[in-house]
Amino acid sequence: MASQTPAIVMDNGTGFSKLGFAGNDAPSFVFPTAIATRGGVSGGGGGSGSGRPAIANKPSYLTGGSGSGGALAAKRGTEDLDFSIGDEALAASAGPGYGIHYPVRHGQVENWDHMERFWSNSIFKYLRVEPEDHYFLLTEPPLNPPENRENTAEIMFESFNCAGLYIAVQAVLALAASWTSAKVADRSLTGIVVDSGDGVTHVIPVAEGYVIGSSIKSIPIAGRDITYFVQSLLRDRGEADSSLKTAERVKEEYCYVCPDMVKEFARFDREPDRFLKHTVTAPNGRSVTVDVGYERFLAPEIFFNPEIYSSDFLTPLPTVVDGVIQQSPIDVRRGLYKNIVLSGGSTLYKDFGRRLQRDIRHLVDARLRASEARSGGAKSGGLDVQVVTHKRQRHGPWFGGSLLGQTPEFRSYCHTKAEYDEIGPSIVRRFALLGGPGST
Amino acid sequence: MLLLDYQNVLIQSLLTERFSGASPVSIDQVVSDFDGVTYHLSTPESKTKILISINVRCFKELVQYGAQDVLEREYGPYIVAPESGYDFSIQIDLESLPADQDAKDDLIRRTSLLKRNSMAAPFERAFDDFMQRQEEASKFTRESAPEGVREGGEVMAIHYRDEEAIYIKSSHDRVTVIFSTIFREETDRIFGKVFLQEFVDARRRAIQNAPQVLYRNEPPLELQGVRGLSDGSNGEVGYVTFVLFPRHLTPQRRQETISHIQTFRDYFHYHIKASKAYIHSRMRRRTADFLQVLNRARPENEEKERKTASGRTFRVQG
Repeated sequence: MASQTPAIVMDNGTGFSKLGFAGNDAPSFVFPTAIATRGGVSGGGGGSGSGRPAIANKPSYLTGGSGSGGALAAKRGTEDLDFSIGDEALAASAGPGYGIHYPVRHGQVENWDHMERFWSNSIFKYLRVEPEDHYFLLTEPPLNPPENRENTAEIMFESFNCAGLYIAVQAVLALAASWTSAKVADRSLTGIVVDSGDGVTHVIPVAEGYVIGSSIKSIPIAGRDITYFVQSLLRDRGEADSSLKTAERVKEEYCYVCPDMVKEFARFDREPDRFLKHTVTAPNGRSVTVDVGYERFLAPEIFFNPEIYSSDFLTPLPTVVDGVIQQSPIDVRRGLYKNIVLSGGSTLYKDFGRRLQRDIRHLVDARLRASEARSGGAKSGGLDVQVVTHKRQRHGPWFGGSLLGQTPEFRSYCHTKAEYDEIGPSIVRRFALLGGPGST
Repeated sequence: MLLLDYQNVLIQSLLTERFSGASPVSIDQVVSDFDGVTYHLSTPESKTKILISINVRCFKELVQYGAQDVLEREYGPYIVAPESGYDFSIQIDLESLPADQDAKDDLIRRTSLLKRNSMAAPFERAFDDFMQRQEEASKFTRESAPEGVREGGEVMAIHYRDEEAIYIKSSHDRVTVIFSTIFREETDRIFGKVFLQEFVDARRRAIQNAPQVLYRNEPPLELQGVRGLSDGSNGEVGYVTFVLFPRHLTPQRRQETISHIQTFRDYFHYHIKASKAYIHSRMRRRTADFLQVLNRARPENEEKERKTASGRTFRVQG
């Protein structure tokens, strides 16, 4: 091939899919991982009651000439193409006749039929590429069963004949994305990823590019909970507009992380200009003003003091991160403390990284002092705790994929169509570690 | 989605967003389109000046067939010197946009059709050529026509992919468009054959005014004397011929025809893939059904042979 086509990076998350070309600094398309199909609301699966997709009419040579009518003939057997994805799917499902489905649940693909069609549409309609000419970089959540990888490979190679495929773990890509930060001196793939999206927050330790699966912890507090919390605060005050949408806007525009909750309350009382007003313009042109007060710093605070929001989950995020590191093998702990990487939309609050770093450092220092005291005179060399924030946090895994996908050696790490034909789907159970030691 | 769009969705959505008055930000994206076309969207000078460059594999051939004129007609004032590494560039200044919304939409539409327009030149030339020949031919009867009129024009070749090309030839009563297609994969070749058979049959059955389609493995007679053709002896290469009749070439229909025929290859491959996806989904359903049957068939209390650690078995004494 004369000029190399850019690799395609697709990150299909539970909520949103990020699609684009390697080498760019932002995904070309970000839309909900949703597909709207004709008939049947999400349930046992699309199609009519029999649980089988609607069978296309008989092939033409049987009905041909029997005068089935031009209009009917034109539509013959194309029911399976009557669907839409992304924002269009959401719009279509609002109208009659279409049901909406979310093929990805908890990061893993649940419905392969829908996923296959979702991919087909993303490739041909949005990215507009011939998959035979391009290499693909897909992502998977940590602890994805190998069978899912095989299914993915089957679809990618057999349906789309894509030239080559690499499946990377999202957490590892998020680590790679942090290389753009000025704070990162050495490009190591050891670190701990704090990935907070809309539904759930994960703390994932990664050593030399391999996820330490046994120590992963999830926290049931994430973006959606913050929105609910803001909403409940607005409701308690009796604001004019306390819809979920308004709460989300308030969360995204005004919230930040404060160093100390009590002092921040006092500061708000001293400086009344910290109270803001948010104007909501309804589609019909009327606008309402909503006061924005303590929720500015209280909302992200539920990560650090979950007791103000939840009654069943009470461990603060810094403690969870510290606990995860303590559970990991002893020889990687120093590396993990040194490289705590944030990823996902709910880590974008101002000073989120600084607060996390401070709290973890407090925990670590307290433990060091205690053990120094117990040992009777031994001195600890100290432990370096560093939380890395960078500009690409929002689409961290996608950006990491874009970064690695443009490297010249990327193609040699992929499995190609020829290799797949030779060995079969089991080939994708193993991938050489992209961006690991040995590569630049 | 039955037909593919002609425009590039990314350019369209990006410009729509920018034109609607969103605060200008810097853009730097390299994106692909079908047939190895690459776009580069950037804001090199200031955030309000968007530079859109396109790189087409066969641009030299297209220029030869008059692409520059077509592009100048479409993008006139926006054309700037091509960016290095690209074939053609236009620049849109957000500060000097047309005032009314319709003109803006038109600009967005035209820009997102950049690929289509750059590939349109040979088609337009062939259609114009056809018009001339038709006029000329109307002066003669069938037998008395001089050699040149009957034969038709030269064959225009566009090597738009590494191994595939479009050939266009005009004559006095039709324009012939020939695609050479190649299939690496055995399965695809069979799917392709079925599809093309449908195309061939469509005219016979329902749609009388469709263009005539022919499919064969050897180069058709129109391409006699064109060099660099594979004879298709190994069955990988096929030639799809579309015969466009005067009905398709009227000035009103012309733009639509060009758009349609350009996306033929991608449309074709898209549908091969979509039908594979459909068959896969039926296979999955069938497997699920069979598994259900198997599960039902499992006896409830299966008597298993029980062994001790040393391998001895117990038998119930009857």
